[in-house]
Amino acid sequence: MTSWRRRTVPWVFAGPAAALLVVFFAYPLAASLVQSLQSTERGVTTWAGLGQYSRMLGDPSFLRSLANAGLILVVQVPLMIGLATVLAYVLNTSWLRFRATLRAAYFLPAVTTLVAYAVVFRVLLRTEGGAVNQILGVQVDWLNDPFWARVALIASITWRWAGYNAIILLAGLQAIGREQYEAAAIDGAGPLTTFRAVILPQLKPVVLFCSITSTIGTLQLFDEPMVLTGGGPGDATLTPILYLYQVGFKQFDFGYAAAIAWVVVLLIGGLSWLQFRYFGKEDR
Amino acid sequence: MKTTPLVAGLLVTLAVSSCATGGAPAQPAPKLARSAPAQLTGEISIWSWDVAAKALQRLAPEFEKAHPGVRVKVVDIGYDNAYDKITVGLKSGSGLPDVITLEDTAIPGYAENFPGGLVDLTGVAAKYKAGFDPAKWAAAAGSGALVALPWDSAPVGLYYRRDYFERAGVRPESVATWDDLVKAGEKIKQATGKRLFVSDLTTAAGFTTLLQQLGQGYFKGGKVAVNTPAAVRALTLLKTLKDKDLLQNEKGWDGRVTATKQGKAATQPTAAWWSGTLTGEMAELSGKFGVIPLPAFDAGGGRTSANGGSALAITAQTRNQDAAWAFVEWLLASEERQVSMMRTEALFPAYLPALADPFFDEAQPYFGGQRVNRLFADQVKQIPPVELTGDDTQAQEFLKKAISATLLNDEDPKAALDEAAGQIAAATKRQVVS
Amino acid sequence: MKRLLVWLVAAAGALVSVIPFYWMVVAATHDGGELFASPPPFLPGDDLMANLRSLEESVHFARVMATSLWTALVYTLLSGLVSAMCGYGLAKYRFKGRGLLLGVVLATMMIPFQVLLVPLFQMMASVGWVDTYQSIIIPFLANSFGIFLMRQAFLGFPDELLESGRLDGAGDLRIFYRIVLPCVRPQLGALVIFTFMSQWNAFIWPLLMLNSAERYTVPVALNHLIGLSHVDYAGLMLGAFLATLPLMLIFLLFQRQFVAGLLGGAVKG
Repeated sequence: MTSWRRRTVPWVFAGPAAALLVVFFAYPLAASLVQSLQSTERGVTTWAGLGQYSRMLGDPSFLRSLANAGLILVVQVPLMIGLATVLAYVLNTSWLRFRATLRAAYFLPAVTTLVAYAVVFRVLLRTEGGAVNQILGVQVDWLNDPFWARVALIASITWRWAGYNAIILLAGLQAIGREQYEAAAIDGAGPLTTFRAVILPQLKPVVLFCSITSTIGTLQLFDEPMVLTGGGPGDATLTPILYLYQVGFKQFDFGYAAAIAWVVVLLIGGLSWLQFRYFGKEDR
Repeated sequence: MKTTPLVAGLLVTLAVSSCATGGAPAQPAPKLARSAPAQLTGEISIWSWDVAAKALQRLAPEFEKAHPGVRVKVVDIGYDNAYDKITVGLKSGSGLPDVITLEDTAIPGYAENFPGGLVDLTGVAAKYKAGFDPAKWAAAAGSGALVALPWDSAPVGLYYRRDYFERAGVRPESVATWDDLVKAGEKIKQATGKRLFVSDLTTAAGFTTLLQQLGQGYFKGGKVAVNTPAAVRALTLLKTLKDKDLLQNEKGWDGRVTATKQGKAATQPTAAWWSGTLTGEMAELSGKFGVIPLPAFDAGGGRTSANGGSALAITAQTRNQDAAWAFVEWLLASEERQVSMMRTEALFPAYLPALADPFFDEAQPYFGGQRVNRLFADQVKQIPPVELTGDDTQAQEFLKKAISATLLNDEDPKAALDEAAGQIAAATKRQVVS
Repeated sequence: MKRLLVWLVAAAGALVSVIPFYWMVVAATHDGGELFASPPPFLPGDDLMANLRSLEESVHFARVMATSLWTALVYTLLSGLVSAMCGYGLAKYRFKGRGLLLGVVLATMMIPFQVLLVPLFQMMASVGWVDTYQSIIIPFLANSFGIFLMRQAFLGFPDELLESGRLDGAGDLRIFYRIVLPCVRPQLGALVIFTFMSQWNAFIWPLLMLNSAERYTVPVALNHLIGLSHVDYAGLMLGAFLATLPLMLIFLLFQRQFVAGLLGGAVKG
């Protein structure tokens, strides 16, 4: 291959996406970065330096929202990925019947339109006469009690996205050739050994993908708290992006909103890098 | 190096965008003063939602008939995320139509944070001041310039279940103060097992309505006023109701409609537009409801408040100010159109001359023959005007927390409001009223 | 014993996933008012046709579905191609700027969309794209999620196969289409499903861009059923239910790719 080709061929593949990203994201990204260094009051914009960033440190609502995201990250993401792996494993069981139907059923929550999702969950989670309380035989005030509101939020996110992740993991599982399972079986490997020696190494990029996208999804969590609790009661279910939205679109403080966005980006970047670092070593 | 041009490009866009977002000084609001030319031409486009959009769609052809050169395009943008659309349009300075619908509570925020975004109507509309609901006029002119013309009013009264009151032996006329209502509520609960009214304890709506009844907004003379004696009184009333287990806590609009339809509450302090919901969603309860004025805090005190209501504003992005104003004026400062919208879309007129129409005196079978509209019409002039500011939305976020802390976590009203006042003062760089 | 456990897990998962959806169907087939009765209905009602008629009347649902369908298909086709190619380029070539490009892809995935709304809107307005179809299709063609998904998929693809293709004298593009793509069919199926889904359910951006009812997509149109003093729950649920049907269809069509992947094995060359 000539060196000219060596240089141009990759851009044939990556070029279109790169061009689109530069055109449609570079300007908005740059604009938001600039905005985060400014402050606008009554239509007058002034340079704020890092003022918007330091403001966050003393903002209890923002810190609360970070803590909430942390809680979801630690509790909900592992719970969901574990559940998704179990579901994917079940779906990949060769003798199981109605697999196509089951797959479709698991996928259903992820494709439900947000407006419908909101109404359905509010009806199901109603304190008096709500289906969830009736089935569990309890009288829990799901959306108004700080503790239970978090539980409801975590449960509803898991409901919506566990199946989705299971489908991605399933694609990863299926990419592992049957011969490899057979080879392992011939070598006399038990199910655990097979999982460790055959499945896990090959599934790793996919698990990494799921866990990174879930991390991003958690730090960018917006839809569910917005429609279920509005971030309440108090700030119990406030997430950084919901807060960003309130600051920007309800209080018109776009500079502060942009600064919050960039802090979230840095956090996501840091966490993703850590995950790459520790779980994706052979990745590069 | 492949990266160099990319980085350079990024720097250029950075520089460009810093001009675009940073260089724009606050422009003075474009003013509309002179009277419109005799012959209007062009197209005007209007954003609205819900029944308001239906009213516009119905009446636009009439306007076009009167002004053959003008085309009116009504766009129903849906209510739920309408303000996101309007905010982005104002912030980016593009994409807005000639006329937008705004709820009263949204006007000061837009007027203050996007100076120059809405056309100043003072010059052409000042002559109508005496003709409109004073509370709504105050909302539209809060920032000094009148940036919207009031459309519909939302006088608040107390809807009640005739059958529950009867079963408990409570005469509705005997309920004159909130103390009376609390006592009545206990009696009704004993007799029927029903709570007094439905409320979403995580919002500030109920508190705000009570505060306005007491003649106050979140701010007073530009200072934070959420911990004044009036504010403490309003929240204490809610806490009393909650402590006596008289509040039916339901989430959101669907929760409130469901609870009312299921007859879970004996009363509902809310605005005139609630009639439309009752007749529309629960026709089977016809004859069961009646309305009395809101109970007063002190005997002889004010017996109404406001909850909702909209106005029409002209955006500075319009290229056809004259036609836009001509339409707004034709539609809103008119007895004929206002009464027509009351009859067809149940939009309660903020234009006072319209309230004299005989339509308001008709007995309503749904309310057991009561002349409910007359009751509300008489209240419109009484609605206490309050100070609204662009920081109200932000203040409300802190208030929500104080309210849910008081009602759900049993905190002391005064302490919770003091804390909220401090937070609001810090966030809005204002002082707390002493 | 083990089989029973697998069955139990499978059935429980399906039940939990489907129950809220079942309630949607119930709500979609009842008159709006009946939903608030006590106790609420548990079986589907017989107002389906009436609700359908009123949905068509209020938001022109058939036209809205058609718009959503074709815009989502065009988006999926173009975006899928762009993502797969970019993912392949990132995974299988070493070139100057690769790290930067990967960084940009990841960054766009990380940046909260809400903060881009205003500048992106400004951009669209300055080129006169407000209220056009291209405004809801083109800006997001480079779907960073899709690119990342495909990059991860191609990473495991053995280089020896590419080498043998090159030895056979095939060009890079030909190798990509003839050798590489067929081998990652499961992931391609996933890509199509997720790309289609993201466009089909996109809400805030189309809401901001589209002003004419003739161009509304499903989520934007459904949003109109939520009013200030009236919410058309029956219409909302019916619309949401119908809106999931094309998604399920795409899912059922493309999940066969998963099966193909299973039968063929991932790396058979």
